[in-house]
Amino acid sequence: MADALERITNLVALLLETRSPLTLEQIANELRGQYPAGDAALRGAFERDKAMLREIGVPIDSEVLAGSDAGKTAYRIDRRRYELAELELADDERRALQMAVAAARLSDGNFGLLKLGADGNASSTVVANVPDDAALPVLREAAAQHAEVGFGYRGRARTLQPYAVLLRDGTWYVIGHDLEHVSVRTYRVDRIEGDVTIGDAGAFERPADFDVRAVFPSDPKLLGDEPASRAVVRVDAPRANWVVGAMGEGAVQRTYADGSVEVEVPCANLDAFRSWLFGLGAHAEVVAPPEVRAAVVAWLREMAVAR
Amino acid sequence: MSARRGPRPTAERLRRLLVMLPWLMERGEVPVAEMAERFGLTEAQLVSDIELVSMCGLPPYLDELIDVWIDEGMVSTGVPRVFTKPLRLTAPEGFALLAAARVAMQLPGAEADGPLARALEKLAAALGDVVVVDQPQPPATADITAAADRGARLRVTYWSATADGASERVITPRRVFLDRGRWYVIADDHRSGEERTFRIDRIEQWTPTGEVDEPRAVAAPAADEWFLDDDLRTARLELPASAAWVVERYPVRAVEHAGTRLVVELAVTDERWLRELLLRLGSEAAVLSPDEWRHLGADTAATLLARYEGAGNDAS
Repeated sequence: MADALERITNLVALLLETRSPLTLEQIANELRGQYPAGDAALRGAFERDKAMLREIGVPIDSEVLAGSDAGKTAYRIDRRRYELAELELADDERRALQMAVAAARLSDGNFGLLKLGADGNASSTVVANVPDDAALPVLREAAAQHAEVGFGYRGRARTLQPYAVLLRDGTWYVIGHDLEHVSVRTYRVDRIEGDVTIGDAGAFERPADFDVRAVFPSDPKLLGDEPASRAVVRVDAPRANWVVGAMGEGAVQRTYADGSVEVEVPCANLDAFRSWLFGLGAHAEVVAPPEVRAAVVAWLREMAVAR
Repeated sequence: MSARRGPRPTAERLRRLLVMLPWLMERGEVPVAEMAERFGLTEAQLVSDIELVSMCGLPPYLDELIDVWIDEGMVSTGVPRVFTKPLRLTAPEGFALLAAARVAMQLPGAEADGPLARALEKLAAALGDVVVVDQPQPPATADITAAADRGARLRVTYWSATADGASERVITPRRVFLDRGRWYVIADDHRSGEERTFRIDRIEQWTPTGEVDEPRAVAAPAADEWFLDDDLRTARLELPASAAWVVERYPVRAVEHAGTRLVVELAVTDERWLRELLLRLGSEAAVLSPDEWRHLGADTAATLLARYEGAGNDAS
């Protein structure tokens, strides 16, 4: 019997070359002597080959026949779906992609590069550790094809029309129209429970004016519904430069002779605001409004009495 | 790509073949060594794969379906019938390429209308423009990266969390990396004479000294790797369920569930970092060990509180 690689290479060639779909009997006949004898053994070996082809991304079409072979399944590979779409990358564009893959270190990128005619051998001074997640390729595909996805999240089943996936602050999110909530929602991809299921392509239209950045502001301190949306914080001289550098001169409300500053900071999301504030250690103090100051004091007091 | 030894799974060999054959057919003739190197195989592995496919055949083209042969260190191909185009990108490959290009567009040095931007446009047209990366850089990032490319020394003012103060140092940046949404630079620190990792958002001022050091390759750590140093101390924390984000955000060495609460072991780079974390977690979190850190959260909160209560205008 032929080597498994030889058989499966022949199988791919056969299904690519055939004009009409072939039944398993026809396949076994064409690849005579390569599949094991006996119906069960033949079926088992063929199913394993099909699973392997699916795993590496070879698209196999199947249809149930009518007429004299009614009820039998026939198979072929559609060349247009099998072959890589020509991207017509210029040499410098290919090199730029090579550098990008070297920098982002996403493991499947190297093989993708080979298909595009570039090799994976590049290095980059800058490297980004981008989190990888098995759900991401499915979500990307669904968003591109306008297919609905289903997944578990916090113990509940969700159905989403995905508009985009977003990487922000080292975390991937999927953003889309949630069919149950009837509104645009954002989910953390790393908190998705179990597998993502994907529906038919062309199931929805993405709104023409959809803008991820507008739906999901980059500053987490803006993402919330606390009554006070801005606080004034006094920052001591040692950290004043850094805060002004990060927030811009526009945030500065007052500058003191000792080098400290008062800055206006978003605090619609109190958790994110506290994180930012406590990152400055003892070098920052909330000045106003009184309710935000009181909330910070209450938080600290509860911690201090735990001693 | 580096070649792996040992038996290779059939799927892996086929996956590679479906890319290697079209590549070879486009060229007609390629040295074995070059082709092996490109596809991450040893020469022996490549030769065995080529010999195997040369025996593939379908009636009526029994021995000439894939017309390839090896002679005098060259792999050659005749008139191609099948496998003239590579297999399409799989979903993981497509995602990885798109995401890598999007990430790289946000790295220092990317040009808005450069070759990467053009490649990305073509990729996005084929795969859908649905991957967005939003990774702002601290102001110093571009200059630090340029210095790392040249081995240029910089005089920097660095905010040290451990010392709680800014200090001036001379560093030679070697490698810039992004991890968990934060930018870091690995540099030769000329004050300590050692290699150190700095957070770029804490570099407040930077100017070139004019000196240039010999190039030196420094590997960037993989995600989490640099937190797994055995020298780091470990703290055991008990957390409410609402603080599960700690597990996602920081490298934890162990997680146990205690009812609705979590017990985690965290690598602690320095005490000040732990203090900040405890402040964020609030009164619901507790340090279980080591003993000397049991009261760290309460003591830190008391210190901060003194500032508010001493001011005499506390609203509560």
